Amino acid sequence: MKYGAIGVAVLILIGGISMALLSQRPWLARSDVVQPIPFSHRIHAGIRHIPCQYCHEYARRSENSGVPPIERCVGCHASLAQQFALHPVDKPWIDHEQAAFDVRWNRVYTLPDFVRFYHSPHIHAGIACQRCHGPVETMDRVTPVYEINMGFCLNCHTQRHVSIECSTCHY
Amino acid sequence: MPVEVSRRSFLKLAAASGAAAAVPGCKPAARHLIPYVIPDDDVIPGTPAFFASSCNECAAGCGVVARVREGRVIKLEGNPVDPISQGASCARGQAALQGLYNPDRLQRPHRRGADGLINPIPWDAAMGQINKALREAAAGSDQIAFIGPPMGPAHEWMVEQWIGALNSRMRVAYAPLDGAQQRAAMQLCFGREFVPAYHIDRAEVLLSLRADFLETWGSPVELARQYAVFHTPVNPGANAKFGLAYYVGPRMSITAAKCDYFLPCHPAYEAAVGLAILRVILDKGLAHPAPGLDMQALRNLVAPFDPAAVATKAGIRAETIEKMAQQFGQADGAVALAGSDDEAAHVAAWLLNAATGNLGKTVDLYEPETPAGAPAQNLDVAVQAMHDGKIKVALIANTNPQFSASPQVHFGEALRKVPLVVWCGNVPDETAQLAHLLLPVNHWVEDWGDTCARPGVYGLRQPTMTRVVYSKPLGDILIETARAAAPKASALPFENTQDAVRAFWQQRFKNHVGAEGFDAFWDQALREGGYFTNVKPAAVKLQPAFSQSAIKLPEDLEGAELILNAFPHPYLYDGSGADKPWLQEIAEPVSQIVWDSWAEVHPDTAKRLNVNKNDLIQLTSPLGTIEVPVHITTGVHPAAIAVPIGQGHTSYGRYARNRGANPWAVLPPGRLTIAIKYNRGVGQRELVSPVYTGDMYNRPIVETMTLAEFQRGEKPQPWEEPYPSPSELYQPVVYPKHEWGMTIDLNACTGCGACIAACYAENNVPFVGKEEVRRGHIMQWIRLERYLPETADSPTLLTMPMLCQQCSHAPCEPVCPVFAAVHSNEGLNLQVYNRCIGTRYCENNCPYKVRHFNWFKPAWPKPLNLQLNPDVTVRGAGVMEKCTFCVQRIRFGEIQALTENRNVRDGEIVPACAEACPSRAITFGDMKDPDSAMMKRRREHEIRVYKALEPLNTLPAITYLRQVYRPRGEV
Repeated sequence: MKYGAIGVAVLILIGGISMALLSQRPWLARSDVVQPIPFSHRIHAGIRHIPCQYCHEYARRSENSGVPPIERCVGCHASLAQQFALHPVDKPWIDHEQAAFDVRWNRVYTLPDFVRFYHSPHIHAGIACQRCHGPVETMDRVTPVYEINMGFCLNCHTQRHVSIECSTCHY
Repeated sequence: MPVEVSRRSFLKLAAASGAAAAVPGCKPAARHLIPYVIPDDDVIPGTPAFFASSCNECAAGCGVVARVREGRVIKLEGNPVDPISQGASCARGQAALQGLYNPDRLQRPHRRGADGLINPIPWDAAMGQINKALREAAAGSDQIAFIGPPMGPAHEWMVEQWIGALNSRMRVAYAPLDGAQQRAAMQLCFGREFVPAYHIDRAEVLLSLRADFLETWGSPVELARQYAVFHTPVNPGANAKFGLAYYVGPRMSITAAKCDYFLPCHPAYEAAVGLAILRVILDKGLAHPAPGLDMQALRNLVAPFDPAAVATKAGIRAETIEKMAQQFGQADGAVALAGSDDEAAHVAAWLLNAATGNLGKTVDLYEPETPAGAPAQNLDVAVQAMHDGKIKVALIANTNPQFSASPQVHFGEALRKVPLVVWCGNVPDETAQLAHLLLPVNHWVEDWGDTCARPGVYGLRQPTMTRVVYSKPLGDILIETARAAAPKASALPFENTQDAVRAFWQQRFKNHVGAEGFDAFWDQALREGGYFTNVKPAAVKLQPAFSQSAIKLPEDLEGAELILNAFPHPYLYDGSGADKPWLQEIAEPVSQIVWDSWAEVHPDTAKRLNVNKNDLIQLTSPLGTIEVPVHITTGVHPAAIAVPIGQGHTSYGRYARNRGANPWAVLPPGRLTIAIKYNRGVGQRELVSPVYTGDMYNRPIVETMTLAEFQRGEKPQPWEEPYPSPSELYQPVVYPKHEWGMTIDLNACTGCGACIAACYAENNVPFVGKEEVRRGHIMQWIRLERYLPETADSPTLLTMPMLCQQCSHAPCEPVCPVFAAVHSNEGLNLQVYNRCIGTRYCENNCPYKVRHFNWFKPAWPKPLNLQLNPDVTVRGAGVMEKCTFCVQRIRFGEIQALTENRNVRDGEIVPACAEACPSRAITFGDMKDPDSAMMKRRREHEIRVYKALEPLNTLPAITYLRQVYRPRGEV
């Protein structure tokens, strides 16, 4: 009887471990994301030194950091193309025949529904973007560096003596 | 060898094995990020934007502010600038969003085929058909009818232009509860109609003749705010000021229950009671001589209403009438309100107000500002014309006469004789079933428009989001058809509704525009939700012309054995709320019944008729029969059977269809009462209520004190539980920064349910339906406790908003095996959904019963899901949930303060319930800040402070303020 119970526990354990290992864990950042445009963060943020928040402009005032509007891309690539010898991106960026431009970037970082994350307080606390997103300025294609799970958040929150209440992120 | 696994690791692994795919939130999130091409400067993704507009759910015209996230309205709140709502709202206003996102809204234009079924057609085809028919009909005169409710001034003007251009005069204004008796009474008393504005807060005594001013009568949000001031005692001591309210009517509504004395009255004699009071006032010389007041004429008028005779007929004691008259006449400010369907009761109220010198004091009358033009016709005229075959095209917009017009009007029969019936609306209703063309029009949240609550208060309506379905604004339909079909092409020379409303305002307010020009005026009006100014009330005199023949009591009711008293349901109103599941599931505050109609029967009557609870009874008037289940209550006059209006739809979407009975179907036009015969129906239908009892079982959850105690300044002893006094096992909890708390004033609470609706909207609380409510699975985070004390020396009815008390010693916390119920260092009891495994131990251990378990995966049929608040997790099946004090708003306020390098300001964080509360009964704040409005309120009302179930030593963060009342035995 006793061994039977242990046997069941072992089976559940094995089942649990294999599920945990085999599940896709869709809430984690993904390293296999390919974008519709071969956009390089290395060139923009690394070589050209464009600040992160020039494009991700909502980071300091909102929950989301935001993806740059097409206008922001065209702002440099069309008007300043001559001056700075930029690659003139003429297709289909300034193609007026095309309907409203539809770029669907693929998400690299996602969070589960029960986690609330605001960019703004982190930016105001002086946390560098790289602290969570890794050295994006060296990456052509953004891939996650850290596994952003609760431990990752809590480590930093504990070190910096900021709230680790459940309700800081879960509500 | 035994496997050594710690309990915690075991749980972890077991949970991972079973729950990896099942826990909510573990589904892949949206995988795409779609950028703007050109961003809107005002839109910050992830941060709400606010747009001011004006509510259109009833005629009160409250200003609202729409909270918009990523282009979708997720919440409506009161507009703090608007003098009517002053930042508050009501349940019906909150639920407007469920009309906007209703899954049964007509998606595109439809045409009825020869087979009687409707098929989708393109807008062009629909408009082409209308234009052709209008062109032909405009050749003759009065061949086109527009049937719609009274609308805002701009739309009224557009309709007037439209109908004039089409060579017709058939603008029919139709709303079932349009206050016709009130207007007729003013016509009689003053010779013409005025727009009244009441000031209950300036009165000492209030008399309501069946006016449910906290629910459906007049401007409920504004009046509830005034009533809270009127009915909250201040200055303990002999001079305590505490308004005195009497309610005379056949049924105990929540308004009646919240008045000091509910006097059940035979439905035929409300007016008689009012006039008997007036007679006593005149006899005792308490009347104030005022210009235009002919005392002798008044005396002659009220001479037949001898208090003793009236008292016998009405069922009220003669001494009570004398006493009411004494108090009403002597008060420094008194107000009489009439909400009866009997014109004489309105006359009585106006005469009472006038004779005691209260016109201009507790009630102001304004000159109406109607745009010049032909007055709207009433429905009878149109029905006659339709019957005679004169009407070739009928356009019916946003009104449902087939449901709410009396069968005596024969609206449906007449409408069938019209060659083209065009229905414009949101959810196809009974009238739409008779239409040839069905056009979806923009919901008011998506549309332009304006309101005029009273002169000086001009609300503006603007679209706060793009349309949900393939609809057109009603104004655009008028403009396009006028352009295509009218012989006079210049009738509505506008591009769209926006242009028309703007042009109308430019013309209307040309004398109000400042030096900066109309553009600045318009921008400010859009930003503030309207234009608010002060207009002087009119100086009003009683007409000496009214004679005794003017006052007729409803003689058809006299001597009737049983009288049907239909009353507008506080949430479903005239029936227009029935398609909104929130309004169906918020229990009617007195009966606490959901998702159904019922017949309120007095116990004596029930005995006489030999019916029991839930028995179906058939109520038959000469016009028809309805069948409703019995609800036995002492809150109704023995001669009356009270049935709520609002249910009984045969159409109008999945939430309204085939539910309850429609009392309009047995009522004569313009009346809410009729003599009926009773028959026993077949079988029973269970009435479902989320509460099981009206009894507190000797535990005073709602604590009270009499006015006498309050005047003596005696703080009542807390109720004692027969347990040993608690000794503290743990160290007291330390709150380093904030300790959130709430103060709820039970004298101010009117039991209106706005908090419940606001909570539904803010916190993604699922609605569950009638069957699940029956099984006790209702999910409301805040509910209205309702108790019916039976002793004569207690209040009629007790209400108390009950929500999570956020205890410092929370019984739910220690019993959770997985630490899903934990305490925060800001004084909140947190419920961590992702930890919860659904043992429900916490629910069992909660003495306040405020925790709710998700037995099912909640469902919001598309597009109702668009209303969900993205700042709040949608809980899945198997998870416990409860009130969080709107922690998302607390976090938002804290983050806002953090990014601006300051502390959180008092009043910056307001939970949804407190924000919505029309009577301002709920205050939220930081208990560590002694200067917060919440703590000040506790100090100011020190004598009334108590905690719910205090002897349990749960140390709640919510403090209630005891209800002060006058014992019923005094009347």
